[in-house]
Amino acid sequence: MGKPRLIVFAAFASLGLAACGGGAGNNGGGTANKPDKVQIAAEGPFTGDQASIGAGALQAIQLAVKDFNNQGGVNGTKVSLLVWDDQHNAQTAQTLQAQGISDPTVLGIVGPMNSGVVLGSVQGLQNASPPLPLVSESASNVKVTDSGNSVAHRVNARDDAQGPADGKFMIDQGAKKVFVMDAKSDYSTGLADQTQQYLTAHNIPTQRDSAKAGQTDFGTIITKIKQFGADWVYFADEGPETAPFVSQMKQQNLNIGQNIQFLGTDGEEDPSIITKSQGAYDGAYATNITADPAGLTSSAATSYVNEFKSAYGSDAVSKAGPFYGSAYEAAQVLLQAIKNSPVKNGKISRNDVINQLGSGSFSTIFGTVKFNSKGDVQGGGIYVYQAKGSSMVVLKQVSG
Amino acid sequence: MGYFLAQVVNGLEVGSLYALVALGYTLIYGILELLNFAHGDIFMVGAFLAAGVAALLVHNEAAAVPAGLLIGLMIVASMAGAGGLGVAIERVAYRPLRNANRLAPLITAIGVSLFLESAVQVGISPAPVGVQTHAIISQTVFHLGSVDTPFSKVLLVAVALVLMVGLDLFVFRTQFGSAMRATAQDREAATFMGIDVDRVIMVTFFVASALAGMAGLLYVLSYATAQFFMGYLLGIKAFTAAVIGGIGNIRGAMVGGLLLGLLESLIGGYISTQFQDTFVFLGLILVLLVRPQGLFGQPLTDRA
Repeated sequence: MGKPRLIVFAAFASLGLAACGGGAGNNGGGTANKPDKVQIAAEGPFTGDQASIGAGALQAIQLAVKDFNNQGGVNGTKVSLLVWDDQHNAQTAQTLQAQGISDPTVLGIVGPMNSGVVLGSVQGLQNASPPLPLVSESASNVKVTDSGNSVAHRVNARDDAQGPADGKFMIDQGAKKVFVMDAKSDYSTGLADQTQQYLTAHNIPTQRDSAKAGQTDFGTIITKIKQFGADWVYFADEGPETAPFVSQMKQQNLNIGQNIQFLGTDGEEDPSIITKSQGAYDGAYATNITADPAGLTSSAATSYVNEFKSAYGSDAVSKAGPFYGSAYEAAQVLLQAIKNSPVKNGKISRNDVINQLGSGSFSTIFGTVKFNSKGDVQGGGIYVYQAKGSSMVVLKQVSG
Repeated sequence: MGYFLAQVVNGLEVGSLYALVALGYTLIYGILELLNFAHGDIFMVGAFLAAGVAALLVHNEAAAVPAGLLIGLMIVASMAGAGGLGVAIERVAYRPLRNANRLAPLITAIGVSLFLESAVQVGISPAPVGVQTHAIISQTVFHLGSVDTPFSKVLLVAVALVLMVGLDLFVFRTQFGSAMRATAQDREAATFMGIDVDRVIMVTFFVASALAGMAGLLYVLSYATAQFFMGYLLGIKAFTAAVIGGIGNIRGAMVGGLLLGLLESLIGGYISTQFQDTFVFLGLILVLLVRPQGLFGQPLTDRA
């Protein structure tokens, strides 16, 4: 088997398919539809300082590939998974991706997970011949899909979808006066700005304040909330300041669910906040750019959670980080797009995979998924959680 | 008016913590002219000792022993533990350097501070530790007009005031107190008068550290959490309070602590919470420029 021959062959095949739009699959015999070799890559920070979000996502992708192969793979060909550990470094990512760019049987990437890594390497993927598509499970920066490339897709929501969705959710719940808090980080300040803009544009009076990293005394701020007469508190935070904050709201007689409502963001759908605040968080809401399957009641999500636990241990879900659901979803989307692509002489072209990603609808553990022309998932994908008892349950999906 | 009172109450609550920790800085400085930079971390260790006792004896939000006994054990653990730690630090890190260049014990103090923080971070927890205070003390919220404040904060202010008065009586009304003051004035002369200076220094470290330990316990009861870096900023604020009050002066440290808490809360309440620390340290600079010896300190020329 000469490898160069394969590449030349694939290049020819892809040129031909690109020219005819990839519509007409040659449905000859059974063996004609069976590709010789299909590979995809999982890319993310699987080790290093961000392993807490990467490791669980990799487990999910491995499970998705295994499930897909057990159901027959791509017309009988099993998909093999390459693991690219970029360690949250765009240069490492480029080195890893070079291997996929030169091998036409690598048909797509699940990931990269970090916006910075996508932005630092997407040009190389776009300029490859044929371009190498990616489906990220967690990159939320608006530029990931706004820069006009055809390769980038994501199943999670964008940064600029969350703010308006959060604002609209509070207004729908009857908010009259909102105290907006950020935690002085790029992520939380930007998000709080967007939410506050949305509220102001809808004539909801707001007042703004900030927590400092590691702050535990919120007496002054809470007295301000009472003076302002807020009926909602919005706190854009990754999580650590929330438990002492809501505990002290209760100590100043602001009881969540009774005389005040609370909406938090991504890190605040962590059920440990309920225990750490000794129940003061009960009744609070939080939104996230992806859904936690463990918080959903649909049968697809429930059976995925059970499968994840039996594969990796009963406590695996609690250690998997926030993206073990969206990582499985992204892998499902990419694998179905590959399966829907035409097979010509035992080859699938990446151009066809990109066309399929753009035009197809995919059934996932979170329901049907479709991308818009930019590569963003249609339908927002902002999920509202509520603290009930000792867990965070998914209430519904919202958009701005 | 209600808003003003509420912010004053917030300020007094935080200020009481600053005052308790500031007393330790000022006691040790008064005796040894040493800035014990590890003092904020002794406060942190006191909080972790209290949290540790709570973790051992509170399960599923119910205490395994009567609440009174539990609080008693927490007091003993945090005060005796922190006090003992202070004595040990003095013995190991400061006493061998007592006659060295003044910079040397300052550097070991910073070393001890970093050591304690890292030891707790690696050995206990890098993330904030939660404490089930619901099982330990009443969660009643008091309403006084427009001011709402929980029992734990009332307790914090009350205990701090009692300890401050007690310390004041101890230093100014007992024989040991006069030995302490004699050592502070002139260590050599005190030795000639038959005072066991080493013992005075040891007791001073014990008392100063036990007060920080108690502050740690009160912090845990109010905020239901402890984290390894909690002593850093609070320690610097308490040190600022001690300097504003006049370092070396016990009553000055108490007033300085309460004043700093009030200043912080009123600036946060009327100007901006973002500039709280900026204004607090600006206040420190102004005090040092206008009255370098602090509000209650003796002019430096008198000490020399």
